[in-house]
Amino acid sequence: MDLDLTAPRSLLLLTLADDELVTGHRHSHWTGVAPSLEEDLAFSTLAQDEINHADVWLQILVGSNDRDAVDALALGRKPDEYRHAVLCERPPLDFAYTLARQWLYDHFDAIRLGQLADSTDADIAAVATKLLHEERYHLEHADSWVRRFSGDDTAREKLAVGLRAVWPEALWLFEPLPREDEMVADGLMPTFTASWLVRWAELMVAMHDEIGLADTIPTDLTMSGDGWVLPDDFFATPGGRRGVHTEDWTSAWEEMTHLHRAHPGAQW
Amino acid sequence: MTTTTLEQQVRAAVEAVPDPELPPVTMGMLGMVHAVEVVGSRASIELLPTFAGCPATEMMERDVVAAVGAIDGIDEVRVAFRYSPAWTPERIDDEGRERLREFGIAPPTGTGTVSEVPDDARRLPLMGRGPATGHRACPYCGSDDTVQDSPFGPTPCRDVRHCNTCDQPFEAFKEL
Repeated sequence: MDLDLTAPRSLLLLTLADDELVTGHRHSHWTGVAPSLEEDLAFSTLAQDEINHADVWLQILVGSNDRDAVDALALGRKPDEYRHAVLCERPPLDFAYTLARQWLYDHFDAIRLGQLADSTDADIAAVATKLLHEERYHLEHADSWVRRFSGDDTAREKLAVGLRAVWPEALWLFEPLPREDEMVADGLMPTFTASWLVRWAELMVAMHDEIGLADTIPTDLTMSGDGWVLPDDFFATPGGRRGVHTEDWTSAWEEMTHLHRAHPGAQW
Repeated sequence: MTTTTLEQQVRAAVEAVPDPELPPVTMGMLGMVHAVEVVGSRASIELLPTFAGCPATEMMERDVVAAVGAIDGIDEVRVAFRYSPAWTPERIDDEGRERLREFGIAPPTGTGTVSEVPDDARRLPLMGRGPATGHRACPYCGSDDTVQDSPFGPTPCRDVRHCNTCDQPFEAFKEL
């Protein structure tokens, strides 16, 4: 298969797939050990959804549902060839951190999908529209938990600790993609990631104000004439979008790809 | 006497394939069959997956290939899943809804805010957005006195509910 993984379309689809795949992998941690049976179902379903969404993005990339080709991309790359944000690779820590991350990530993902629904690439637009419907359940899950946490002093303090840990890395969800100029020029990506940040930050800041946790938001995020922005040099050093990850990813990658590496071509 | 074309035969076979996770309903009843085309002895079938995160799609593909491949005159079967038009619960026909109910699953009402997409900050106050899953009548006793216990259930397309009248737990097909 001749697939140029450095082409703009490939870079976009790998980023979408990797965010979802790694998020799904980390969500699956809660299967069997979540604080309640309902949350066990919730995070197991969220994990299944995200991993399948990654699968669909990779099917679009390889141009078929050929299992071997999709698995080769999902599980056959080197750790520094993955393009997810570092936030997604962090271990779940505790339930408050997990929820804080799910809250910020899924609202980011919904805004991204909303933009990609207008992609000039028919496949990307169709899948984005489809996934947007399903992500509503993820948003409702996170929103309702945040509301519950913010109604009790102890839970609210735990949520604040989780949010303080999540926020600095959540901003890196908006690290510009390599060749983003070309993606936007041909309409593959209708808008720049910086404009997604404006919409997302506006929403998240309003929600944080509502629950009284605005002080968990990093001061890097400031309001300018056109909306919320980060300092010009914020993404000067490369992050996850450019293949730079942490030790947490090395161990997660080893676990996630173990079966694929030990038994090439293994099927369910 | 009417003649059934090969293409009609193939379509009938695809529509009769049961959903592997909801055996009483078929892919035809669920409205998952988008297009069927037969050229010579080759059948091409396009299906609309209910949820993109549905792990049953591979089983469905296998079942469709087996069902269509068994038809005289068909040598090759191709199955593709497409995401446009997006499948929505309105596509489930009346028979499918009745079979779901008999199976203990409240069918979607079709009154959900299907086209509402969460891409606009102004439409997303913290809790103000309408629920993705509206109220459902109990599939066993028909009572409206029911509650949603969990928005997530045994498959991506179902949630878990409880009927306060007959005290029976049941599932509901999500609205999307």
